[in-house]
Amino acid sequence: MSALFDLFSFAAIGAGVFFFFAGTVGLIRFPDSLTRLHALSKADNLGLGLIVLGLLPRADSALAAFKLVLIWALVLASGASTAQLIGRALRRGQK
Amino acid sequence: MIPPAPFDTKAAAARLAFFFALWLTIAGWTAKDVPVGLAAAAGAVWISLKFLPPGDARFRPVQLIALAARFLSASLIAGFDVARRALAKRPDLDPGFVSCPIGLPSGAARDAFLLLQSLQPGTLPTGVEGGSALVHALDVSQPVAAAFAAEEGHFRKAFGHE
Repeated sequence: MSALFDLFSFAAIGAGVFFFFAGTVGLIRFPDSLTRLHALSKADNLGLGLIVLGLLPRADSALAAFKLVLIWALVLASGASTAQLIGRALRRGQK
Repeated sequence: MIPPAPFDTKAAAARLAFFFALWLTIAGWTAKDVPVGLAAAAGAVWISLKFLPPGDARFRPVQLIALAARFLSASLIAGFDVARRALAKRPDLDPGFVSCPIGLPSGAARDAFLLLQSLQPGTLPTGVEGGSALVHALDVSQPVAAAFAAEEGHFRKAFGHE
């Protein structure tokens, strides 16, 4: 059973790392700040979500697991709102 | 200027309990830290009442769960979509702004909807001007405005904003 959990953690964290990698590639390769924002907000949120998912079976307690999910939600909300604010500032700056 | 709403003791107490529970979850249960937690929770209540006055939002649990499921699957697709575009031999992009009419009135519900929308595949709202959300899209050949309108419909159903 624990081997199965380990395999799950390994797969989920590995997938999370892949999305962080892809987001970083987008950050470097995309042509302007607006498209780079897409790369960061989407790929990194998914990457963090998968890493949190992979860490859940390894959490010491239900409280620790809940804390992990809470951290993901906070990062998600703050990342998504900041991306919109930066996007709006960029759009107004373009005109 | 919006006139200040009368102080809602019930809402403030409920929010204080919520933020303090949140603080305890994150920081832990040490007695000497409790005053700090209460002060932080009180500050959070003050800010939340200022920016998110108690409203009459109705929650519909079933539709809300459906919305959460849609949101999670959409963020999965969004992550794959942006990863594919980033890792393509030549970045696969046709970026631009799409003007999407929005029916939700200005306020917390609209902000929440735009937040969810910013995690949809290939779209990033960058503010609302004259009744339309200006959405930046990674690929303007996609049906951005139609998808936006459909999502707004689902959102309104979940929160009873019909």
